[in-house]
Amino acid sequence: MIQKILSLLLLIGGLAGSAPVRAQQNATDDLIKSLQARVKRNAEDHAGYAQLGAAYLQKGRETADAADYELAKSALEKSLDLLSNDPAAAFAMTQMAVVGMVEHRFEDALAWAQKALALGSGDPSPWAIAGDALADMGDYRGAAEAYSRLQNPYGSQDEKLSLSYRRDSRMSFLRFVAGDTQGAIQLMRGAVHTAIETHMPAENIAWSEYQLAEEFFLAGETDAAEKAYLASLEECPNYYRALAGLAKVRASQREYVQAVTLYKEAIARVPYPEYAAALGDIYRKLGQLDDAKKQYELVEFIGYLSQLNQQIHNRDLALFYADHDLKLHESLALAQKELEVRRDIYTWDVLAWSSFKNGKLQEAATAIAHALEQGTNDPQLFFHAGMIYQNLGDSPKAKEYLQRALEINPEFHIAYAEAARQALNRLNKPQGELSAREANNAP
Amino acid sequence: MKMLGLAVLSLLVAPIVYAQAPLGTATPAQQKIAWAEAAIKAHPERNQPYNDLAVAFVQRVRETADPSYYLQAETFVQKSLQITPDNLEGQKARIMILLGRGEFGQARVLAKALNKNTPDDVLVYGFIADADIALGDYEDADIAAQWMLDMRPGNVPGLLRGAALRRLYGDTHGAAEFLSQSYQQIAPTQTEDLAWTLTQMADLQLSTGDIDGAEKLLHSALQQFPGYYAILEDLARVQTARQHYSESVELLRQRNLKFPTAASRYALAEALERAGENTEAGLAYTDFATTARARINGSDNANRELIFYYLGFGHDLAEALRIAQLEISRRHDVSTLDAYAWALCGNGRYEEAQKQVAAALAVGIREARIFYHAGVIAAKLHDSASAVRYFNQSVELNPSSESAVAAREALQKLLPRSAAAHGAK
Repeated sequence: MIQKILSLLLLIGGLAGSAPVRAQQNATDDLIKSLQARVKRNAEDHAGYAQLGAAYLQKGRETADAADYELAKSALEKSLDLLSNDPAAAFAMTQMAVVGMVEHRFEDALAWAQKALALGSGDPSPWAIAGDALADMGDYRGAAEAYSRLQNPYGSQDEKLSLSYRRDSRMSFLRFVAGDTQGAIQLMRGAVHTAIETHMPAENIAWSEYQLAEEFFLAGETDAAEKAYLASLEECPNYYRALAGLAKVRASQREYVQAVTLYKEAIARVPYPEYAAALGDIYRKLGQLDDAKKQYELVEFIGYLSQLNQQIHNRDLALFYADHDLKLHESLALAQKELEVRRDIYTWDVLAWSSFKNGKLQEAATAIAHALEQGTNDPQLFFHAGMIYQNLGDSPKAKEYLQRALEINPEFHIAYAEAARQALNRLNKPQGELSAREANNAP
Repeated sequence: MKMLGLAVLSLLVAPIVYAQAPLGTATPAQQKIAWAEAAIKAHPERNQPYNDLAVAFVQRVRETADPSYYLQAETFVQKSLQITPDNLEGQKARIMILLGRGEFGQARVLAKALNKNTPDDVLVYGFIADADIALGDYEDADIAAQWMLDMRPGNVPGLLRGAALRRLYGDTHGAAEFLSQSYQQIAPTQTEDLAWTLTQMADLQLSTGDIDGAEKLLHSALQQFPGYYAILEDLARVQTARQHYSESVELLRQRNLKFPTAASRYALAEALERAGENTEAGLAYTDFATTARARINGSDNANRELIFYYLGFGHDLAEALRIAQLEISRRHDVSTLDAYAWALCGNGRYEEAQKQVAAALAVGIREARIFYHAGVIAAKLHDSASAVRYFNQSVELNPSSESAVAAREALQKLLPRSAAAHGAK
């Protein structure tokens, strides 16, 4: 879902990648080895340590292994121990900001980006991470202003294009949040074009195509989404994000067997809880309840696998529990905990949904109002809003939001698209025709 | 002037984002101090947090004008160097302290040595440029600043040094352009840096007589960093340029409530004199002279102000020259050359004065006061044509300056004589 977009943005601007992903991992391993040798030769090589940190970060992106982020942090700390008061230290500080983002320590990320900017290095890159942190903290205006600073009058043409790519791909997300889905798509198309034109690493191009596909899917343009996911896979075969995206398209096309295969492939590469939950939902749809249960167990296992996972998957787990009517108190507690550090619209949405599932309708209404306040056209938000207002007895609002969810994408979710249709039918029925169960359709 | 105006406009409309400071109302230096102290608590065995703390205290001096922070900075540099002898950042912090205290010669020696070992460090070049500019070695400063900009195009420390040099070379528009570029790159959290840069910009505007433009910039700077002493000093200059002397006095009184420098005491004394508050002016001059004389042999002295004091209110021309000779033995920057020239002129040594002021002007500096001094010296040497030219330059450059008023009077006296001389030829 779009909730992932921002964390995915972190993929941009990393070190070089090459297709396919496995080959990219090998290239990163080689780079790490050579940088390790470099700092071994010269223990005072601050630039070497900074680059080593960045290489570990890249490795972390590829493997989603928390240990790589710890190694990145150590190398970057070492670099900053050697040099911290010079424009040259801005790179290491920016990478520290990226570590903060990856670990969902958004305030730390912002502070590091600000420290990097305070050095006045002439490189506007830290603005990107500052914007990312602000967006995750719900300050979209601040994020937009930060992204608008991604310009460098001193850079080469390639550097300028690279910055325009970073700016446009991020602004695309902000446009989406602001409700301008077509504007978001247009910006992302431009970013894809720039990525190809400037011969960016295959993984970056694949990510851009994938991101465009996500926006198409959210806009209900499933065919365009499918094409873009396939383009992403063509650029970077077995790219786990594109595999999962394509699986989502196949599920919406009711091609469940293909969807299962694709999700399995994605999970084999990077086991994100979100993918396991989606795969479980398909199994459930197919009546394979044991398989579904296994996937749901996997979601929890991944979510609690490490301290870092507990930190970064709070919101995913909260949503998963709420979606599946499991551990509802924990779902709410996780959503509330997440809101302490992350106040973007999707955290408000998950809080709304968890509150709703816990029967806290007023709290849910307040939270969903925050989620909707930017004007975002996301079927999931509208579905949640519709269900909350239905249970609050506000039928006109409930109908409006459920209709909007289905109008955007009639197959926006494997289970909830149907639930939205049913709820809308109930709302459209005259009161007398409702069964007792329907009339008391409490969460 | 048009270009300068455009650059200023771009400063005023530059976007400011997330102005809120992470640590509430703490200043940037205070935030850095808090971060560094936390880092020391977490890792007392590492040298770097001590360096960061030292640098933050140096930055705090610029925020407050309170030189006592240098003592703390020095303590933490020593601590850092105890942990890791000769570590790069520790040495850099030490040079920053030396520069802040006006120990330019020593700072330059250390920076040059450090630069030899770490030729890829941008800030070390900046320190060399700072020391060179203060000592008047502009050629060497130029090379260092150019290295900074070549190594990292568009870096703010490099642009600021470049702006200072461009101004010294008389390229006011170029200096404004660099300051504008710097301002647009400074992080919005660095409120003191932003205010300082705006103040520099305002200073530039004032030097060309654009009083309104300067005032706008200064008010903008006040929003960034309220109560900043550097802004109050320049706002006082704005009021002086408007001949609003009482307002100028008020601003300087306000400025001197906290950590007055010898120079700011002198500015207040001058303002009081202009406002006709002669008794208070006398007291203020005495206060200044006492403070400044105590540091006459020190590095962080106010000898240039002291020279002008003895040439004016202090009425001791010989003492003015003695101090000027002392200062010129240490540095040859344009301000010291000008002060020395003026002291020589005051003592009737016009030819020597002419040599010194010519050396100052040869750098390219365009300052109404220096042009005026050059005019007076030329007139004393009976070089009416040069005198007229210099006086005209002074008036044209900054019609609202005090020097311009004096230059106009001098021109009135000179012009008939000059015309007659021209006719005789």
